[in-house]
Amino acid sequence: MKILIIEDEKELAGNIAAYLSEENYLCEFAETFQQAIDKIGAYSYDCILLDLMLPGGDGLKILEELKQQNKQEGVIIISAKDSLTDKITGLQIGADDYLAKPFHLSELAARIYSVIRRKQFANSNVIRLKELQIDLLAKTVFVNQDQVLLTKKEFDLLLLFIGNKNRVLSKSALAEHLSGDIADMLDNHDFVYAHIKNMKKKLIDAGYQNYLKTVYGTGYKWEI
Amino acid sequence: MGNMSKLLNRPLKAFAIYSLLVLGCSIPVYYLIVDYIWRHELDEYNKIVSRRIESGLNKLELNDAEWSKTISLWNQTQPGTTLEKASIIKPDSIYDVTRRYTGNSDEELERYRGLSSYIRVKGKPYHLNVEINVEETHETVLAIAAVTFVFFIILLAGLVILNQKISIKVWKPFHTTLEKLKSFDLNSDKNIDFEKSGIEEFEELNGVLRQLVEKNINVFRQQKEFTENASHELQTPLAVLKSKIDLLIQNENLTQEQSELVESLNIPISRVSRINKNLLLLAKIENRQFSEDENIDISEMLNQNIGFLEEHLTAKNNVVYTQILQNIFLIANRSLVEILIVNLLLNAIRHNPENGVIRIGLTENILTISNTGDIPLDSEMLFKRFITSSNNTPSSGLGLAIVKEICGKYGWQIKYFFADNFHHFSIQF
Repeated sequence: MKILIIEDEKELAGNIAAYLSEENYLCEFAETFQQAIDKIGAYSYDCILLDLMLPGGDGLKILEELKQQNKQEGVIIISAKDSLTDKITGLQIGADDYLAKPFHLSELAARIYSVIRRKQFANSNVIRLKELQIDLLAKTVFVNQDQVLLTKKEFDLLLLFIGNKNRVLSKSALAEHLSGDIADMLDNHDFVYAHIKNMKKKLIDAGYQNYLKTVYGTGYKWEI
Repeated sequence: MGNMSKLLNRPLKAFAIYSLLVLGCSIPVYYLIVDYIWRHELDEYNKIVSRRIESGLNKLELNDAEWSKTISLWNQTQPGTTLEKASIIKPDSIYDVTRRYTGNSDEELERYRGLSSYIRVKGKPYHLNVEINVEETHETVLAIAAVTFVFFIILLAGLVILNQKISIKVWKPFHTTLEKLKSFDLNSDKNIDFEKSGIEEFEELNGVLRQLVEKNINVFRQQKEFTENASHELQTPLAVLKSKIDLLIQNENLTQEQSELVESLNIPISRVSRINKNLLLLAKIENRQFSEDENIDISEMLNQNIGFLEEHLTAKNNVVYTQILQNIFLIANRSLVEILIVNLLLNAIRHNPENGVIRIGLTENILTISNTGDIPLDSEMLFKRFITSSNNTPSSGLGLAIVKEICGKYGWQIKYFFADNFHHFSIQF
């Protein structure tokens, strides 16, 4: 899987690449507008991470360029601007997702995972992991052919874990994933435990082996 | 303010006092002039009378007996003149005398001007006194003073009327400028359009004001831009920091203690990020970047957000009571109303104690969100930026400031009050 990281902040691009490299993603970098235009013209990628504020030009122009060249890459905008207008414009021009900085790498990984899946398996997007079977379109979960009824939040959590296999997910990342923008306004993230506990119980009851490990002091890890 | 007087009333007062002084001083001067002219004329008159008597007497052909009879008769019948024999001729002299003319003591004292002259009748010297009544000093002074006073009143009335007329006309551009300054809104980003007055001083004032306002607008704009840019610029290093933490916790060699330390870094980072976002939001509201208003079903929006936050509302063993009237519509920006509702709900969630109660009410035009509390909060400080009423829960200190800013934008009234052990926040649309 090839990913192009268009981001002028080298440190951040490097960290993203380091996190994604364990997932068999191959990352390339573009630090300026021109480099980005050159790379998207010459190669094709599975997913492009696009910062909107770039030296040399507006990131939205790159998005327009991709559209013009009829490229099918999934694009996730990663921007310091958390503005609704930018979000709407970006999504209208053809971005697949929009993530405001600062974000957790696990959140980004989950979004990349889901964007790539959507592009590759447009019609039957079903993830099979051992005895687990997740239909992303129908939002249903089966363990050994038996359907497990998960709440929306439990389903969202499961997807985050699937997108970050063998990676430690911090409580803070889980809380942000569950409650989005308001996570940082909540005093305690204990509500995360309740959802995880419930999800785990439902899956185990359906006969699924426990892959979800508690990492003491930090969070959880989906080991597979 | 009580001691203040209008600008034009100050010279008016000075003018009035000055006029009073000048006119007051003119009274003795007038008197002296009138008195001098009068005496002069009376002396002339006495002289003429005296000459006429002299030539008249000289024409008479009388013997001595007749003559002395005539003199005594003269002295009895001609008031104001006396004639008597003299031994020698002396030069004429003028004198003033005050007396009761008839000698009757009921009569007022009168002032007389007299001419004592020596005449020769048929070669014999005679002493002739001619007297004429002069107007009393106090009567003259009184008359002059009365006239002066009347003129002073006329002058004063004229000054007041002129002052008012001039005041209205001359100060019109000033009041126009003042009105424009009063209605000026720094947020509008537009300079004041002063009218041309055609008066040099006001043109200069308007010019200086225009520059001042321009400067202020620029400073304010820069300040807003700074907030916006600073917020954006901070998000990237925060993103770097956050991603480094995410990478660090993947390290299997970390002890549990180290992991906990690293993970705890996420909290302050989230807080900085939240403060950033909120500052940015405030700057945007101030910049009027939320202009698209639409018809919002606030009942539905409130219910949605309560649903979304349900697990947080009922955390800490809280009980939630809702009384929401359905189908209440509001014309405003959707994002802002959502932010307002979420901020108020989160405020109640954050500050509610264990086993507390949260009440959410919506009537036709009032939204009230209340939570349990024990002491009233300082409602003055509550909506100010970076003021947190409690020190046990870290927050951005901007949530309620944002609520107030949104209310201010739409002219809604936000009120805080404490009653029956509840903090109530109510918004009147």
